[in-house]
Amino acid sequence: MRSLQREPVLLLALLAAIALVLAFIVYPQIQVVLVPGADGYVSFLQGGTWTLPLTNSIKITLLSTTTSVLLGFVFAYAMVYTPMPWKPFFRVIGILPLLSPPFVVAAVYILLFGPRGIVSYGVFGQSPSVFGLFGVWGVQTIAFFPFAYQLIADVLSRSDARLEQAARNLGAGPWQVFRSVTLPLSGPGLGAAILTCAIYILEDFGNPQLIGGGFNVLPTQAYSLIEGFGDFTGAAAVSTILLLLALSLYFAKTSLDRGRSFVTVGGKASSMPRPPVPPMLTRACFAACLALAGLILLVYGTLIVSALTLYFPTNLSFTTIHFAYLGAHATSLQNSFIYSMLAAIGCSIFALFAGFMVQRGTWPGRRIFDFLLIMPAAIPGIFFGIGYLTAFNQPWSDQLAGFFGQPDLRAQLIVIALLFWNIPVAYQAITVGLRQIDKSIDEAATSLGASSLRGFRDVLVPMLGGSVQVGFVTTFVRAVTTLSVVIFLFTPRSTTATITIFQLVNDFDWGGAAAFTVGDVGMAIIVLVLIQRLGGRLAVTGFRGG
Amino acid sequence: MAEQVHLRLTHVTKRFGDAVAVDDVSFEVPRGSFATLLGPSGCGKTTTLRMIAGFYEPDAGDIELAGKRINNLPAHKRGAAMVFQDYALFPHMSVRANVGYGLRLQHKSKADIAKKVDDTLKFVGLAGLGDRQPNQLSGGQQQRVAVARALVVEPQILLLDEPLSNLDAKLRESLRWELRALQQRLEMTFIYVTHDQDEALSLSDWVAVMNAGRVEQAGVPWEIYYHPKTAFLADFVGAVNLVPSTVREVRDGTAVVSVGSANAPVRVPAGLSLASGAQVRLCIRPESLQLRSPSAAADGQVMVPGTVARKAFLGDLMRYWVTVDGREWIVDQPDPGAATPYDGAVQIAIRPERIHVIAEP
Repeated sequence: MRSLQREPVLLLALLAAIALVLAFIVYPQIQVVLVPGADGYVSFLQGGTWTLPLTNSIKITLLSTTTSVLLGFVFAYAMVYTPMPWKPFFRVIGILPLLSPPFVVAAVYILLFGPRGIVSYGVFGQSPSVFGLFGVWGVQTIAFFPFAYQLIADVLSRSDARLEQAARNLGAGPWQVFRSVTLPLSGPGLGAAILTCAIYILEDFGNPQLIGGGFNVLPTQAYSLIEGFGDFTGAAAVSTILLLLALSLYFAKTSLDRGRSFVTVGGKASSMPRPPVPPMLTRACFAACLALAGLILLVYGTLIVSALTLYFPTNLSFTTIHFAYLGAHATSLQNSFIYSMLAAIGCSIFALFAGFMVQRGTWPGRRIFDFLLIMPAAIPGIFFGIGYLTAFNQPWSDQLAGFFGQPDLRAQLIVIALLFWNIPVAYQAITVGLRQIDKSIDEAATSLGASSLRGFRDVLVPMLGGSVQVGFVTTFVRAVTTLSVVIFLFTPRSTTATITIFQLVNDFDWGGAAAFTVGDVGMAIIVLVLIQRLGGRLAVTGFRGG
Repeated sequence: MAEQVHLRLTHVTKRFGDAVAVDDVSFEVPRGSFATLLGPSGCGKTTTLRMIAGFYEPDAGDIELAGKRINNLPAHKRGAAMVFQDYALFPHMSVRANVGYGLRLQHKSKADIAKKVDDTLKFVGLAGLGDRQPNQLSGGQQQRVAVARALVVEPQILLLDEPLSNLDAKLRESLRWELRALQQRLEMTFIYVTHDQDEALSLSDWVAVMNAGRVEQAGVPWEIYYHPKTAFLADFVGAVNLVPSTVREVRDGTAVVSVGSANAPVRVPAGLSLASGAQVRLCIRPESLQLRSPSAAADGQVMVPGTVARKAFLGDLMRYWVTVDGREWIVDQPDPGAATPYDGAVQIAIRPERIHVIAEP
């Protein structure tokens, strides 16, 4: 603290950062929790409208997490442990879904299996009811297994091949090695991966909204209370319940994370190859991955076909009118790009500074600051959005907009929301990066005459390039694919691509929705490839739509 | 040049929580000297160095550099450049940029910087390597870059935190002499931290041996080596025989002490008060002893009979372990090729003036 007083610029910057965190992370969340008031909560709880969405949420989270983790595990195991062919292809397949809004799967599902779906109606002549629990379950399984795959593959690839070789050398078979070495060592990591996946599924808004039908979960319930009835109290109460669920999952995950430190004792992945697995297993894994890849390709193939056909699936004649429509309404795509870019830039800068202050500073309260920066990772997007709506949709914000000569400040608000909602990923990337840089590097700069801010700028920031890149790309991708954070904040002027896609799907304009999705995903891919070209490393874990 | 105090620590204390890392340390370092803080790990030597650098603030006491109290001066304004154990080279900068970094901070002109950097690189023997990246250099070269980077800013004082400990033994020794020569050419005050007593003794004008946060003894290397105040010091700075003994009588600054069954007159060290009958330790370095055949005459030396238990050939000397009254003494014989090695019964010959007395701990 005394050293901070000697560097007033640093102290001021820190105070500003704390003020921003209080204003944009803490305040909106407190607002939501407080909106209903004690009486509101009592009458809401007595009303009982929340019990069904709550049990539904728990039910679907259990079901979808189980299946997507199983599929994700098979995919991850095959990628990490077997010498199966076509791995680069499967790697791309595994990344693709992370770059698109997760509710894309729901949209395609309706196209294929819906009342007029190409498979259900076109092939079987049926108009089955596909909405409800089973629809959501199936769709979320497909939508979230790539996330599970990324998380689990990350854990498995950290397990030390040398230990596995040693176990094989001592006479254990492949299955014994897996059960007695790999699994116990990566157990906590796998647990954390499963819980992370469960949080994503719990928070998922788009899929249940599109195909849930009467099957209401907490996020969709909160949405319909506001959009249908203007019932802020109820929505706030519902999303507070959702927040509590997400928080308990999150804290369970962090306690597992703590137990996992010993997996990464070596720090680096060793260059030793994994012990061989039986050829039968490799073949089975390959077949399973082919099937899963087929499903993913079916989703994106359907998307592209419906973007290029007149009226999928009934009229399959080639057309470019959907892309013409996209061109005419490109504002939302453009907005998505600008907002996400700004959020990613802001997020990277903020995370750099915050990470530096927490990792390298010694000031009271930095533990709390650290905690607040991680918090948004546990906050469902829908809750975040409602928080910003309650906190900042006030008369004073209109006056502020008037002062700047703007009709509203929603675009700015969306950028800020995307920035702070994504802080945890960027911040954690910086934290990991800083932990790998020995403190003597900072001290060397200091002893040569650099103030700590100067040393940070000249030495640490350039060394943190890789971490900044991870944070930047992840923030950007999450920002272009999120629906729930933005759905309460947009105005016609500040609509984004995901909002447009969502509206088009609701209007049954499949072609337009597909064209927009292709545009959105294409944008994410182009940015990803460009950044990778610039920086050289591709990091994919931690992506999430929602 | 008159000896002038350059760095002074008075009653400096540093705590980390409940643990006292540095406990009431005071010392003075003359200008232009090579001063070493020596001690085992955890003794507080690095903490002391880091307080001088400004990376830690002392909880009590004063640090003065050139007569000015620097306790409240931020680290980057102290003019105390540091060479780190792992060199801490900036990996994203070339050698030239690393060395020039301090000068850039001083807003020197580009031409000035280029010239000074080249001169300094030549000075430390790295001419022509300026465009390399740090990871393209060997450990020894990286160490030179770290030294050059610190020297180029013309610091008041150079702090070195175990700068040689990551190098292999051969290189360590040759760089040791280079550092010493460099310091003497620049006449700069060096504060050097190490746990290696050979390094400390061979390099320094002045050594402070630290233990458990305190300075146990400070002074010129041979004073510490031959006249340590405590058994810890005696043992830490090299192989030693610490023989229990009884004071027979004390007269005029000379004490007669028992050595085995014999007696020897020894000088009473300053600050040590001895009474007849007191239990003491005799501190005798192995190289101060000689072996004789069992029948050899005393010749003015104290003779202690014993038996060779084992011996080791170390090249420049033969080290014997000789059993005397159930205790093992270490005796080093130089130039072992000159005679047949001893075996069996021997006598240890001790010149009384080579015996140093330490109070029984």
